[in-house]
Amino acid sequence: MIIETLKSIFVCYTDHVSENSPDPDIRAVALLLKQRPLSRFSRSIHVRMVDCGSSNDVELEEGLMMSPRVDAERFGIHFVASPRHADVLLATGPVAQNMRNALVRTYEAMAEPRAVVAAGDGACTGWPFKGSYALADNGSGRVEDVVPVAVKIPGNPPSPYQLLAGILKVGMILDQKRREMRKI
Amino acid sequence: MADELKQFTETFEKSLKPGALKSSDERGNCIWLTVRQSDLLQACQVCMANDSVFDSAFISSRGNEPASSFIVYYLFRSAALGKMVVVQSQGKEFDAISADVNAARWDERKMQDLTGLKFTNIPDSRPLIFHPESEMPDKHPIGGKQLIKPKNQDYPIAGTGMEGEFQIAVGPVHAGIIEPGHFRFHVLGEQINKLETRMFYLHRGIEKSLEGKNLVESLPMIEQISGDESVANSVAFCHAAERAFSLTVPKRAEFIRAILLELERIYSHLADLGGMPTDVGFYFAASRFAVLREDMMRLNQQVSGNRFLRGICAVGGVTSDIDKSKTFIITKTLDEFLKRFEAIEHTTLTSSTYLDRVFSTGKVPKSAAEDLALVGPVARACGISCDLRKSLPYSVYSDLSINESMEANGDVLSRFLVKASEVKESVRLVKWLVHNLPSGTLSCPVKLPSDEEAVHFGVGWAEAPRGGCTFFIELSDSGKIDRLACKTPSFRNWRGIETCTDGNIVPDFPLINKSFNMSYAGTDL
Repeated sequence: MIIETLKSIFVCYTDHVSENSPDPDIRAVALLLKQRPLSRFSRSIHVRMVDCGSSNDVELEEGLMMSPRVDAERFGIHFVASPRHADVLLATGPVAQNMRNALVRTYEAMAEPRAVVAAGDGACTGWPFKGSYALADNGSGRVEDVVPVAVKIPGNPPSPYQLLAGILKVGMILDQKRREMRKI
Repeated sequence: MADELKQFTETFEKSLKPGALKSSDERGNCIWLTVRQSDLLQACQVCMANDSVFDSAFISSRGNEPASSFIVYYLFRSAALGKMVVVQSQGKEFDAISADVNAARWDERKMQDLTGLKFTNIPDSRPLIFHPESEMPDKHPIGGKQLIKPKNQDYPIAGTGMEGEFQIAVGPVHAGIIEPGHFRFHVLGEQINKLETRMFYLHRGIEKSLEGKNLVESLPMIEQISGDESVANSVAFCHAAERAFSLTVPKRAEFIRAILLELERIYSHLADLGGMPTDVGFYFAASRFAVLREDMMRLNQQVSGNRFLRGICAVGGVTSDIDKSKTFIITKTLDEFLKRFEAIEHTTLTSSTYLDRVFSTGKVPKSAAEDLALVGPVARACGISCDLRKSLPYSVYSDLSINESMEANGDVLSRFLVKASEVKESVRLVKWLVHNLPSGTLSCPVKLPSDEEAVHFGVGWAEAPRGGCTFFIELSDSGKIDRLACKTPSFRNWRGIETCTDGNIVPDFPLINKSFNMSYAGTDL
């Protein structure tokens, strides 16, 4: 038991992210890290998540994205408590009628430049409850019908590395938005 | 067993007025009792007096829209008989049983919202699934009655009326990575006087969406009820459908299902075990538990092709096999997992800073747990035996001996200890199941019975990581779902949290909530 405890202190549990990894999701993340510009936004992304109707699976994967194995903090991704501090709104769905107001108000509380990521099949398409009486916008349930969406991450649910890749992509969009704002 | 059953039906008939019991029947591990509408309340009281525990209540209109009458089903778990007792009655209006059976309060509020019926003498008639501030459909989902939109003043939230008391409103969007729900704390200084929870922000209309679907189409939707209970929910659904059609599942499929159920219990409990140290600021243990959880998710991916073990259960059996190479991976991973798990469990339980925060925090009184019919690790931490794998055994669990872990204190520490020992027990069970996996086919053909009975009923249950979940299903002759109702362990346990926060301080609430770790999506359906 002492050896196991010492191991848990000294062994590094974090995955190595490289373009030669056997996992295609890790390879995609490595490629995006190489492409990202040297600007403030794409290096430090603050995320506020809102669960609008998913079956807690995407939330569990988000939790694991911050765990030591994947460790999204090393790429500058932080989850923040308030939408006022956030650059990215990570919405999971399908959007339930009772959560519609909360989603809109969270989005409105965010400062520009801001962007929304729709994570999971439910948020992207309303699957599998499309047409239900309890989903927003006459049963469509898509996040993009409620707030503008910049990046969609499909998956049932998306794995932690797929979520990570989606957030890195939105970092580049935010960077572009910031430049446009400066021109004005 | 047959004598006990006969005795039960006789006592039941004797305790009621003459002519109240219309028919009794035994089918698919359940006793079905049809009673007169006016005697329903008394019938439920008789069931409760005969050592049965209230399980769930469902309502159906038999697919009629607009419906002229409804059928209500009250389910009771009888550990003495090893069966579920179903009391059913047809009528236009019903007496609420929640005045006597406190555990049925949310069930009846939900039935009111789904159908538009008004239960007489209901102690709490506030709307549950329809929020006054949100948009809602024009018709009630079941039975098609016109929906009268509730107004904001229909949902009062009252405090204790003490001088100096104020409210803290939290939610539905919380600070951490969790699901939405609203908590209203009535506090005096830092001490919580009263807590009221408001759920159903994630109501997606799952029960209604499943109507008219066939059994294959419905499984992906069942798996969306609650992510970390995907297997338990789909197994309970399969049990209900298999009992409705009297199918016999091959032995190998039953073993594979049990392996998946126990693997799910391990990774689901690891989230809670890691969450409790997080909320007291003990990040060392939390991150080690998170590493273990990620490793278990990767094992799931190797075993089933999905990190949440989805897509394997099907009505009649399973869709994919666990072959020799997979059994080798499972045994090897679990051996190593257990060593690491025990080391980090030891570290956590020998840390005085951790024990100081969890000991005697969030105590659920045993009487309240019995009153609300709580289930799962929450009830077991209060010393109530409620494991469906033992009390109402299904599939392989009838031949297995399971050590039910119990604690007496009912606080956060007890829940931690129960969950930790359940992880170890599940590891033992998976290793045994993998070692003794019988050979044979993976599924039986799903044949629809060709008898004259138009509707087929089934009740199925399984022990999910959070407690027992029950599915009720009505199938038409063509194998399509007429009505599906489900009660998850989270729905049963949410009111338990209101009983254990009184007198605690507000900063301890996240810890108490994490120790319960209910699924919001599984509650709201």
